[in-house]
Amino acid sequence: MPVDAVISLKNISKRYQMGTETFYALRNISLNIERNDYVAIIGPSGSGKSTLMNILGCLDVPSEGQYLLANQAVATLDEAQLAQIRNQSVGFIFQSFNLLPRASVLANVMQPLVYRMIPTAQRRDMAEQALSRVGLSDKLGHFPNQLSGGQRQRVAIARALVTKPAILLGDEPTGNLDSKTTQDIMKLFDQLHEEGHTIVLVTHEQDIADHCRRVIRLVDGQVAQDSRNDMQTREKMHV
Amino acid sequence: MFSGLHATIEGTRAALASIRAHAMRSALTTLGIVIGVAAVITVVAVMEGLSASIDSQLDDLGSDMVTLRARTSQEQAMLGFANKLSYEDFIVLKSKVNNVQDMSATMQAFTFGSKVSYGRETIQTQVIGTDANYQKVIKVFPQQGRFVRSSDDDRRRRVVFIGESVRKKLKLPDNPIGEFISLSGEWFRIIGVAEERGSLFGFDQDNYIIAPFSTMASLAGSRVTENIDILFRPAPGASLDNVQAQIRQILRKRHHLSGDDKDDFEFITAKKTKESFEKVTTSVTLVAGGVVGISLLVGGIGVMNIMLVSVTERTREIGINKALGATPNFIMLQFLVEALVLSLFGGLIGLLLGWGLAALLSMLMPGMPGALVPGWAIALSFGFTTAIGVIFGLMPAVKASKLNPIDALRYE
Repeated sequence: MPVDAVISLKNISKRYQMGTETFYALRNISLNIERNDYVAIIGPSGSGKSTLMNILGCLDVPSEGQYLLANQAVATLDEAQLAQIRNQSVGFIFQSFNLLPRASVLANVMQPLVYRMIPTAQRRDMAEQALSRVGLSDKLGHFPNQLSGGQRQRVAIARALVTKPAILLGDEPTGNLDSKTTQDIMKLFDQLHEEGHTIVLVTHEQDIADHCRRVIRLVDGQVAQDSRNDMQTREKMHV
Repeated sequence: MFSGLHATIEGTRAALASIRAHAMRSALTTLGIVIGVAAVITVVAVMEGLSASIDSQLDDLGSDMVTLRARTSQEQAMLGFANKLSYEDFIVLKSKVNNVQDMSATMQAFTFGSKVSYGRETIQTQVIGTDANYQKVIKVFPQQGRFVRSSDDDRRRRVVFIGESVRKKLKLPDNPIGEFISLSGEWFRIIGVAEERGSLFGFDQDNYIIAPFSTMASLAGSRVTENIDILFRPAPGASLDNVQAQIRQILRKRHHLSGDDKDDFEFITAKKTKESFEKVTTSVTLVAGGVVGISLLVGGIGVMNIMLVSVTERTREIGINKALGATPNFIMLQFLVEALVLSLFGGLIGLLLGWGLAALLSMLMPGMPGALVPGWAIALSFGFTTAIGVIFGLMPAVKASKLNPIDALRYE
């Protein structure tokens, strides 16, 4: 395992019991993701990419195998410990944004800091910084339903950034956005990658995958392909 | 990672925000508890006020006054017997018993009270035949004129001392001294009006007429004089037990009671009266407490119900918070605090409402003394509502904390 790996999966399997039959969502997956990598996980529906995403994000634990996230073994942790890992090491960005509807933009971004022992004033500073990074400094007091889809996803990205997590984990982050907004959001991801963030995106859109440096294709719960995009493809996307 | 305090503060903040977001629903949820606590406080306040007032009125009445009266057991009453104290009993007691003062005989002259008139007004009232000592025992003082004197009694004068209500009801002049009123056709001259005493339990305490004992006895004939009440006070420093023992010995002998027979008379002291009032108020409080307990239980179930709805409604929110790092304990604490805040809030409103209601009741009802909310009732209400919040909030809170974050995030 390379020392700089943020994510290290070794023989990860996830199986579900359905009546008498055992169904494998993931089968023997081993992979490393290094710091500042920019990875797309693609595959048809039912290929296990959502399951992999849940395990990477510590929302779920594997049935078998070893998972090191930021050098911490997380495969065997209980729910409370997983919650802490999620808070410290993972920044989630969801397809449906998942903002808290009754909280302001600022409060939404401050929310993950509530679960840390951080004084309110400092939370506010950190959240304002994260929101200024995504270009929403002028929307602090707005509520999610007063924002466009692209703005909502920017709030979600700010919320993911505010904890300075080891990985940013996007689950179809542009799935609910139009193509223009998708371009804007992907540009933001590209910039965040250039600033040194480690980003993993789950997607079924080739356009999105083309932005990334590395593409992992899952088929039937196994890695079918693990390739790196050449610079030309990526140059093209940056135009 | 979290200190309990941090989690409590953040949980409270989140709970308050959620209650504010559903102000109407929260208010309706707490209604059950509001009503329950308001009912406890009202009942307790009125009962406490009542017994405080009874205590003070009984003290005014002269706590050392003793009434001796005939007692007829239930068996005897069913056989048609009625025990009596006679005027002769009184005469003997008065001359023989030591260490008593102000012993007086009183008789209820029912026939005379049934038709009392002055001018065109006719009323019913209570007519008591007694002697001058009655004033000292029962502590009635004239506001005008004078009380019945021994000379009135000796000469069987047709004079009366009246309560303020009698004067008002008969439409007598402000100063009625010297006016004549008719008691069942017999004419009496008014010699005094008593100081007003107000009412107790809604009973008018100024609706009475006092006439000399011998006058009433002669007019009523022997039928009425057969049964009288005897009032007395033990002399200063004398023991009541000793006085009662003397009286018992004399009366048992006069009434030919043998060893096994029960007394056919009884002593009623202010203390005894107080105790029986206390018994009544205590049992009313207990019964009301039971009813109120049930209504608080229903209120608690209301809180649980709305919290369960709230957990289901906010499943996705819970999922988001879990994804962002909320631990199961944090989520549980948040919902528990929310249930607690709801029920405590209901308790507070109920307390104020009950207080106001009790004050209003005692203002509106004639003869009702001021309401009194004792500290223990406040403590009890808050203790009870806290318990309700915790007990009925626990189940929804645990349910919320156990939600699987993946399923919760997908919940529509």
